[in-house]
Amino acid sequence: MAEFSKQLERLEAIVRKLETEDLDLDEALKLFEEGVERLRVAREQLVQAELKVKKVLEIETPSSSGPASVDR
Amino acid sequence: MSAPLTPGRRAGVGGAVDLFSAASAEGAWTVSEVTRRAKAVIEAGLPPLWIRGEIAGFKAWRSGHWYFSLRDKTAQIRCVMFAKQNYMLPVPVDGMQVFIFARPSVYEEKGDFQLTVTELLSTEQGGLWKLAFEKAKAALTKDGLLDLARKRRLPPFPRRIAVVTSPDGAALRDIQAVVGRRWPVAELIIVPAQVQGVKAEASVCSALNRIRRLPVDVLIVGRGGGSIEDLWAFNSERVARAVAAMPMPVISAIGHETDVTLCDLVADLRAPTPSAAAEAATPDRTEVLAHCGVLGQRLARALRIASRHVVERLERTGDRLTRCMDHRLEKSRALLTAHSARLDALSPLRVLARGYAVARDADGKVLKRVAQLPSGKEFRLRVVDGEVGATVQPGVRPNGRVQ
Repeated sequence: MAEFSKQLERLEAIVRKLETEDLDLDEALKLFEEGVERLRVAREQLVQAELKVKKVLEIETPSSSGPASVDR
Repeated sequence: MSAPLTPGRRAGVGGAVDLFSAASAEGAWTVSEVTRRAKAVIEAGLPPLWIRGEIAGFKAWRSGHWYFSLRDKTAQIRCVMFAKQNYMLPVPVDGMQVFIFARPSVYEEKGDFQLTVTELLSTEQGGLWKLAFEKAKAALTKDGLLDLARKRRLPPFPRRIAVVTSPDGAALRDIQAVVGRRWPVAELIIVPAQVQGVKAEASVCSALNRIRRLPVDVLIVGRGGGSIEDLWAFNSERVARAVAAMPMPVISAIGHETDVTLCDLVADLRAPTPSAAAEAATPDRTEVLAHCGVLGQRLARALRIASRHVVERLERTGDRLTRCMDHRLEKSRALLTAHSARLDALSPLRVLARGYAVARDADGKVLKRVAQLPSGKEFRLRVVDGEVGATVQPGVRPNGRVQ
């Protein structure tokens, strides 16, 4: 699942490009299709989302280089 | 003290008559006996009390216990303040004027008259807290950690939100509820920490350190209510520096209206409550959905506009094509009319209309010659509006011009 903000940023860029640039119909159609797809995915992410909660274990990591343990 | 002390088994002290009779193993006091007695007398005669004076010779031991003297112009007393009493206090400095609440006693091992301190208040303006706060704030300012330019923008659509707080506090419940309602797209990473008590400072620092290495977009440092004294961990310079060093934006939700903590000052945003922190950290899903709707409309409109000139060209071309075809059709129609007029002129019906008739036998064969029409033969005669039966009458008159 692509990151939501990236999804939305790309979608906004597509809309701006379509609105401001003089494009071939071919190119415009391609952008439009991509925009519609990204919009669909973004909506899906918003509607279907359910909060995930993780708790980082309260264990002191012996070395500072290793990643902290994550408990699902 | 006017009355002489009279220990149980000893002869009276200070009696002028028999001064030397008690200078014996039986008569003399041991050091322990004297100090124990002095301790008892002092503790009985001087209950815990407030004392004012100046701090001198301050020393904090590794154990966390504090040792110092309290003095005025002419006297001084040794003081001890144990770690379990001082952990939430900023460290005082020599020369500071203070009020202490202490129990006077004797430290028998050293024979010292000493005060065991349970409360320490500064008489400096704003108190000890304020002083330590200003000192730490000055240090943080000097290092540029309070610069407004350092404040980072919060990410508009966070993927991962970390929370450092007490695992069983109301703060965590509130944050979880708000994020769940507004932005369930995110993942909530909870890093439990002790936010009050002796270990709070170390615990918060350790939690921050763990989060530093996680891919987190925004961090909420929260405290679940409590008294003003519980704020001390968030006024620790060590915690403040750890917060300032976090790689992601930090929202502080220490939740005290009147007291701004050092943690609040270094954080990228100060929220009045944990719920407010969670709101600040998240967009509202409903609003984002509405924004998506608007984007969808703009997308459709933009495509319409982008394709408009193509459509217009197509329409123009279509019109020309139609006009062209119409023209061609018109010409063809005219031609057709002309042809059909000529055709009409040639039509046998036109000939019949002019008064000619066609003779045919019963089989429909056209009878064109005299020889085909012997006298008495019956035949059919086609005229313009129908057919009649006929019989050849005698009297042949051949026409020389026809072969």
